[in-house]
Formats: sequence, C-alpha cells, structure tokens
Amino acid sequence: MATERQGDRLAPPGLDRVQRWMQALIQDQGTCAEAIASERAQVEIPADQARTVVLPSKTLSSFERLDIYREMYLLRMEEALASDYPALKHYLGDEEFMRMVARYVEVYPSRSYTLNRLGDHLLEFLATIGDLPKPDFCRDLARLELALTGVFDAGETAPLTAQAVQAVPQDAWETVRLKPIEAFRLLEFNYPVSRYLGFVDEENPVPRLARKKTWVVAYRSNYSVHRMDLTQPAYELLSALASGETVGDAIVSVMTRKFRRAVKEKQLFEWFRDWMAEGLFQAVEIAKP
Amino acid sequence: MANNRWGYPDLGFGIGLRSVHFEHILKNNPVIDWFEVLSENYMDTGGRPLHVLDQVAERYPVVLHGVSLSVGSTDPIDFDYLKKLKALGNRTNARWVSDHLCWTGVTGLNTHDLLPMPYTDQALRHTIERVRNIQDFLERPIALENASTYLEFSASKWPESEFIAALAEEADCGILLDVNNVYVSSFNHGFDPKKYIDNIPKDRVVQMHLAGHTNKGTHILDTHSDYVINTVWELYRYAHRRLGGVATLLEWDANIPGFDVVHGEALKARQFREQEDKQMPAPELEEIPAYGD
Repeated sequence: MATERQGDRLAPPGLDRVQRWMQALIQDQGTCAEAIASERAQVEIPADQARTVVLPSKTLSSFERLDIYREMYLLRMEEALASDYPALKHYLGDEEFMRMVARYVEVYPSRSYTLNRLGDHLLEFLATIGDLPKPDFCRDLARLELALTGVFDAGETAPLTAQAVQAVPQDAWETVRLKPIEAFRLLEFNYPVSRYLGFVDEENPVPRLARKKTWVVAYRSNYSVHRMDLTQPAYELLSALASGETVGDAIVSVMTRKFRRAVKEKQLFEWFRDWMAEGLFQAVEIAKP
Repeated sequence: MANNRWGYPDLGFGIGLRSVHFEHILKNNPVIDWFEVLSENYMDTGGRPLHVLDQVAERYPVVLHGVSLSVGSTDPIDFDYLKKLKALGNRTNARWVSDHLCWTGVTGLNTHDLLPMPYTDQALRHTIERVRNIQDFLERPIALENASTYLEFSASKWPESEFIAALAEEADCGILLDVNNVYVSSFNHGFDPKKYIDNIPKDRVVQMHLAGHTNKGTHILDTHSDYVINTVWELYRYAHRRLGGVATLLEWDANIPGFDVVHGEALKARQFREQEDKQMPAPELEEIPAYGD
C-alpha cells in the first residue's frame, strides 16, 4: 500500500512519495487521468486517492492544475533541443520534431542540472528509430549540430601566434607536430549537411539532399563558432595532424600515397595558411634532435 | 544601509544578464547598478558566455541565481553541482547566491521546473537540514526565492509565506522576495498578497524580483515575457514600505527586447521607491500593451 492508515483516516503520503508521484505524472505523455492510472504513479499513490492530493482552485480542477506542469514539461524539453538542433527541427518541421522530442525524453530524460546536456544522446536515439524521413540525413545533421554545441562550450585555448609560427626554423617543419585547439572537431558526412545548415542560416541556397560525401572542420575563433567545408585530401591531412603525426609524415601519408597528383604544392601552402589564420592550432612541438 | 542580518548591500536596480544583450553591454558599458547571472548557464562552458561573464564581473557587481539547487528534493544533495556553484561564485566575486524554494526532480532525474512543495512539518524539517548542509558546503548563506506555483497540496499545513519565513529563521538563510511571484501565486491560489508580504521577516530579505507574466484567465503563468503590470508595481511599493531598500532585479526571459527597454523597466522600480520614501502618490503608469503586440 502506498499510504498508511492512521486510525480511521488515511495518512498523507510522505514528501518522497509525493515527489516521485508528481514527477511520474509530469513525465507521462498520456492524459492526466492516464498518468494517474499508470503503474509508475500508482506505486506511490493509488489512482483513487490522487484527486485528494492536489486541491482544486476556484477555476481549475486538481487535474487541470497538474496539467499546467505536465504541458510545460514537454515544451521546455522541446525548446532546449530546438536550441541545440535548429537545422534538424527545420528539416523535420515543428510537428515531427515535437514527436521526436517526446519519444526522446522518454528514453533519455534529463539527468543533469543543466538542459545544455539534454541532447547529448540524440545520436544514439536516432540510431534506434527508423521512421524519420531520410534517417541517415537526420543522423548526419544531428552529428554536425552536436559537434557545434561541443565547439561552443569547449575550453578556450589560445591559438598559435604568427610569431610562434615564424619562430620554427624552416628545416624543422617536417618534424613539427601541430596540436589543435580544444574547440576543434573534424567530421565526415554522407550528406551535404553543412550546406543544409547554411541554408537554414540563410547563407546559401538549399542544397540537393542526395547522398554525397562531405567533410567539415568545426572550430571556434575569437569566441565565435565557425565551420569550414573541406575537400577530402584536406580533411585527411587535418586528421593526420590532429592525431599527432608530424607535418612531414602527414603530408607524405596523405598527399603522396593517398592523393597523388590530386593536390598541388601551392594548394598545400594555402591550406596551411588558412588553418593558421583561422587559429586551428594551439601549439607547435618541434621534435628534439 | 543594509536591512538584512548579513549586511548584504542594497545594490540598487539590476537586470538579468542575457546573451542577447552581451554585445550591447561589452560595447557600450551601460550605466547599470548590477547584474544577476543564471548560474547553470556558466558552469559547464569554456566559451563565449564565460568569457563575457568574466568581463561583466570585472565591471559590475554580480549575483548568482540558480534554478537547479532543488533544495526541497528528497534526492541526495548534488555536491558536484555545489562544487561548480561555489567555484563560479568565487570566480565572479558574487555578492550572494540564490535559488528557489522548490524541487526540480527526484530519482536522479531533472524536470527543469520549479516544482511546488507541500508545506508540511516534514517538508520543513527536510528543507531546513538541506539548506544548512548546502550553506556549510558553500561557506556562505543562500537566499531562497518564493517560486510561482500553479497548484497546492491538500497536505499543506502552512501558508507558503509562513513556511518560507520559518525556513529562513531555522536554517538561517536569506529570502529573495519575488513580488511578481507573490502576485501570480495569490491569483492562482486566492490569497491576499499583502498579507503574504507581511509574513516575510524584514531582516531576511536580501533581494527582490520583478517580472511580467501571462494571464490565461483561469490562472497566471510566470513567463517573464512582458512588462511588469501596475498591480505588481503597487505591490512592490508595498513591499518596499514593509521591507525597506532592497536590491531589486527585473527579469525578462522570453521575447526579450533590447537592453534599454529591459533596463528602463528596472528603473521604474526606482521611481516607486522614491515616491514611497517621500510619501507621495505612486507615479502614474500608462497601461502598456503586451510586449510585441
């Protein structure tokens, strides 16, 4: 029994039961009556006693007062996820996105003191459902948007200065290792999701959403989040550098072996110049002789 | 001159620090008495929000205001959260730290809502003990705000105002009196908002909140999405008469207008206080249409 009898009357449930009961009602997505009759709620307070737990007001019944909290819960969750996944919401539309949010928070309710972490499991969740339109595109889009929130919140690391770059002796570059800043994410996609995000942000026309390999580096510069579309060779080279390969090894393995003839020396210089200008690296390590 | 027992100063008239105003604040260095900061927005980020907060805290007095302390929850206290809160307080030289008399979740979950407490003896004892533990850990008193509520529990034995007064006395904590919330809850539950304020011990009040709300007819939602209504201004004036000069903050969290509009709304509080101090009639305010109409 959820409540204890004291003499002839039922003792009110304790604070812990009231809280677990109310939380169960808030998170249940049926009607209030269905939520009250749910097993999770009835473990705490039997349905036939539920109406007596909350007082009615002059204008609202007990259930209607509970519904205020119940309705606000899902709206709050939707608002939080929409702020992290605006392009996914744009693609799915308001109704489909809300349906997805409702299903998501049933599986992954917030366990953090901050709503900023609510969307951390969205990729895992999307991998388990197949009824979204273009599910592979949605997963790619969500992966890009999750990376961008990670870049937004990453710790600040000062980028390499021009002086630090110039201080590297010319003949040492081959053995140099470049360490990326913390706010740096390299991504490979099967769809042009960066272009789709650009379309949502009104930066470019809507892209064709057919399968197409694309590569992106997301990073933060001067506290603003940016993303740069990459070619495959540029992506492979940045990946090799980020994994700790020396500049010489990265160029040899990526440029010479993988993309022979595809990349001209001039192009290579331009990439390095752009990456340095964007502040993608925080440190340059020169191998000791 | 501080009226509260800790000597926390009357900081004047501030507004909540919101990201839509970051650029304006950094660029223009507006003259404003102080800022209130939503603690959780700055705990887990190393990006722009924290960078801006550091600069704001260098230029203005800052107070931390949280929504996840969950002081009334029957879950164990989250000391990881408190550790981050303490560090943020030290980093920003926060004048004080506040949260709400509420619970936000149990069984390890968080609904991210300020859920109402049943005002029972058990709940009071439970909350007193938690507040004491939290204050011991933070090594400073906290102030708890009366949240807007939309339901009442039949088990409640205490009016909310008496519950929060008893809690503040027994746990030795401060009170953040949200005048709009007093009004919202009085509408929703049918009590006299002035009597509520009469029950609040003067020497416990370290801050007041003002905000706009949304009247749904059958009930009022605390949405922070509009101008403060005249009835709430009158109640603020009454609270000032009872409680004296207390740091006052204007909250605006949805459909947020430009910095000057929000700050201008906060500065109306100064007019009401000055008029009250001079025993003059309240300043006449036009009925302003809902923001965005």
